Amino acid sequence: MYMSSVPEYIKIVEEVFDKFKGREFLYIGKDVRRWDAVEKIKGKSLYTADFLKFYKNAVFVHSVRTKYAHALIKSIDVSEASKYPGVLKVITAKDIPGINDVGYVIPDQPLIADRKVRYIGDIVALIVAEDQMIAREAESLIHVEYEPLEVITDPLQVVDLMTLKEKPHTLIHDERGSDVLVHYKVRRGDMEKALREADVKVEGVYKTPFQEHAYLEPEAAIAIPEAEGGVTVISSTQCPFDVRKAVAKVLGVPLNRVRIVVPAVGGGFGGKEDVANEVAAKAALAAVLTGRPAVSIHTREESIIGHSKRHPMIAWYRHAAKKDGTLLAVEANIVMDTGSYASLGPFVPWRATVHATGPYKVGAARIDTKAVYTNNVYAGAFRGFGNPQVIFAVERQMDLLAEELGMDPVELRLKNILRVGDETVHGQKLTEEHGVGLEEALLKAVEASNWSSKRMEYRKAVGPLRKGIGVAIFYHGNSIGVEGADYSSVTLIINRDGSISFRTGLTEFGQGSTWGLVLIAAEILGVPPSYFKVENPDTSATPDAGPTVASRATVMGGAATVIAAHKLRKRLNEVASHILGCDPEDIVIKAPEVYCGSDPNRRTVWQDVVEQSFWLGIPLQEFGYYRAPRAVWDEETGQGAPYITYTFGAIVAEVTVDMETGLTKVDRIYTAYDIGRVINKVGAELNAEGGAIQALGYGLMEELIHDKDGRVMNPNLSTYYVPTIKDAPEIIPIWVEAHYRKGPLGAKGFGEPSFNAVATAIANAVSHAIGLPVYELPLTPERIYMMLKKAGKI
Amino acid sequence: MLEVRRSDVEYPDVEIVMKINGELKKVKVKPYERLIDVLRNKLGLTSVKEGCGRGECGACVVIMDNRPVPSCLVLAVRANGKSILTLEGLAPEGKIHAIQKALIDVHALQCGFCFPGVIMMSKHLLDNNPDPSEEEIREALDGNLCRCGSYLRFVKAVKLASKYLREGKTYFDESEVLR
Ligand code: FES
Ligand code: FES
Repeated sequence: MYMSSVPEYIKIVEEVFDKFKGREFLYIGKDVRRWDAVEKIKGKSLYTADFLKFYKNAVFVHSVRTKYAHALIKSIDVSEASKYPGVLKVITAKDIPGINDVGYVIPDQPLIADRKVRYIGDIVALIVAEDQMIAREAESLIHVEYEPLEVITDPLQVVDLMTLKEKPHTLIHDERGSDVLVHYKVRRGDMEKALREADVKVEGVYKTPFQEHAYLEPEAAIAIPEAEGGVTVISSTQCPFDVRKAVAKVLGVPLNRVRIVVPAVGGGFGGKEDVANEVAAKAALAAVLTGRPAVSIHTREESIIGHSKRHPMIAWYRHAAKKDGTLLAVEANIVMDTGSYASLGPFVPWRATVHATGPYKVGAARIDTKAVYTNNVYAGAFRGFGNPQVIFAVERQMDLLAEELGMDPVELRLKNILRVGDETVHGQKLTEEHGVGLEEALLKAVEASNWSSKRMEYRKAVGPLRKGIGVAIFYHGNSIGVEGADYSSVTLIINRDGSISFRTGLTEFGQGSTWGLVLIAAEILGVPPSYFKVENPDTSATPDAGPTVASRATVMGGAATVIAAHKLRKRLNEVASHILGCDPEDIVIKAPEVYCGSDPNRRTVWQDVVEQSFWLGIPLQEFGYYRAPRAVWDEETGQGAPYITYTFGAIVAEVTVDMETGLTKVDRIYTAYDIGRVINKVGAELNAEGGAIQALGYGLMEELIHDKDGRVMNPNLSTYYVPTIKDAPEIIPIWVEAHYRKGPLGAKGFGEPSFNAVATAIANAVSHAIGLPVYELPLTPERIYMMLKKAGKI
Repeated sequence: MLEVRRSDVEYPDVEIVMKINGELKKVKVKPYERLIDVLRNKLGLTSVKEGCGRGECGACVVIMDNRPVPSCLVLAVRANGKSILTLEGLAPEGKIHAIQKALIDVHALQCGFCFPGVIMMSKHLLDNNPDPSEEEIREALDGNLCRCGSYLRFVKAVKLASKYLREGKTYFDESEVLR
């Protein structure tokens, strides 16, 4: 009933978009300093672990982890460890007052393993002690009897790539009766006909690795016991409301007994979604059971072994096209390794499936994606969320196809890309309202990079150092689509002195998302950003804004901000009109100045308007709530409208490969993105650079390796390589603004897209440089060297 | 029963004296205690960040007797009698140092967790090389990981800071930056 009319909040967002169309902005898209810049630059911002200095009688929680990646637990004896001087308590599964589960999407992950262990990071007991040293020493007094089981580290031991049928194997989740977590499909058009009519077909098997987030701040939580069995937890998380839910569940208390506070966060990239629940729950348990503040901080090694990774993918792809390059069909079997627990594994493969054909018009498609359990470290959310993996496969295929057709890779892409009026592979018609700037992005990247001449030139090179240039394009569905309830909210409070408090449950973990929201509020209210104070997310004070994931902070939080700011502005205009005597619509606010547009001599100041509002009884607090239009998805055919809109991008990368050592150096990356409206210019540029550098690591060096027993071979930063300042190439950001009318001032999301296609553009450039196709990431010197050797090139 | 040694009982506290950010400090430490823990938890200097505890990330770098050291790899007792500079002591009250100003000017900030280490390392570089080349900057900061990827801005900021310093501008008013 009430769903039948368009909600007011949707109307406001569109109204504000139309109102600002063509207007000069004061803060949006301008160089504006971040509110936390000075505090952070002085080292004064407090991150979770820093709060320890305020708690002198805190106890430490040490996680005792399993010896085996797959085993049944026969017995656990903690009696000796419990008596060790300085140990306050040893917590095992049976001590958990609530439900022993921290599974993020489905309840498949015990906080403390009871019956069996499924990966090398599984926890069998928690030692709570006076200090860390004592806790570690007591570990040797815990006796666990295991019955080791077959360890499965290869997802193809669970399913066959070509049939996708589950193979007989020792079940990891025997309680489920199957180790296939999910199966997603896309079915479109007449595949047989398309294949019959095709002039060319190309196929390949593509592999991408486990990638570690390696956020610089390892996981941490400090819990303080509160009245009524409750607890306050300071937590390094992206999603305070999810942490609250997890902690309440483990403690067996209502949500309102648990308070989660998020101070400065040292990076997240998707990784601080679910592990934060585990870490906070560990601290909370210890605090409640001992009655003292409790600290749980992961070492770097624990962080690498014990939190989610980017899903590895193995995919078979076949593309079919006409002689002129028209894409007729795409077929794919995609296997994703979700590791030991589901984490966000039910959603990541969905996003991969939706994006599995790339941003192209495709007449016929058959996509099947399965995510399977193994005994590897579990996989979950990581910037891009399944999309970078399929982009690698699709964009390698497009290059193979171009080669087969004797076409330029850019020409082939231009022939098939999505434009306004086209239908996506899911049958979603893209309109002007969505904002579709892919063609413009591609053309701009190509032009800026001088693509055509370099593409011809580089191929002619001889000698040990070869240059290559590669392109990759993508689209990225905004926010969470059909994965969950897609809402967001903010609270704006204008205080009596004219300063403004900004509250949201969305977290800022480095890339400046909350800052973008402040700029939106500042623009609409007509108040400089320096008037604002962004409060820390706090489940007892800030409204639930949904998780800070899926590039949704700007689009979703931004829309909520537009609504709150717009309503406040309306009221302020009326008060000012009351003071100045001109029409509310005529009021100009450029705080501290407030005047009549038609007669600027009639003026007052911001403070006065605020003060008058108090006297007149006009409330200056506003809550903005926004819910995304519902996404549509048919489980059997993959048809519908999976996302509200899409961000588009085109990357051109230039590399130099040493043909004698296989070492690749990235020289330059052109990143052209259509993000609707650039709200936070500084943040967007930084994100473009940061995403590109992280993706460079994905393309060339990053790979978490398990041995056959499921142990992580490179669990620290000297063996798991991430890019350093020496690897950072020149990065040229290019912006395209195809406005999304239902977004805040036309904006689309950009958190993840900055990562998406960069590794693949690099891979395509490497392939161009060495004259060989590549099928696997990362392109380490060893891998390239072996390829060259096999091809007889060295 | 396994014989376990209780380190905290076996090893009594040792008193050490350090000059920290210009002030003499006496602290009781365990012989196995790391400098980073003493700085952070006993002295409250939480600008010093722990990113790895193994000398691999550079987040915990402090300057000890004019040399940058990863404080996670230094035993506190080794710092006895030494002079230590952390980010807290880089500029007088109400001021920020040229390198801090430059990092803000070029908008280098993302999560900020790596910044204390990056700033101390840059300061050390500029103390010893007033006009470093891009190569030299990259060499100096190679041990400071920044996962948010602000690297290109670090290069720009160190160049800008070196310009400020050569112009004699070592400190800036904080309020000037806050505008
Ligand atoms: S914490 Fe010392 S180098 Fe990483
Ligand atoms: S700013 Fe986040 S690690 Fe450098």
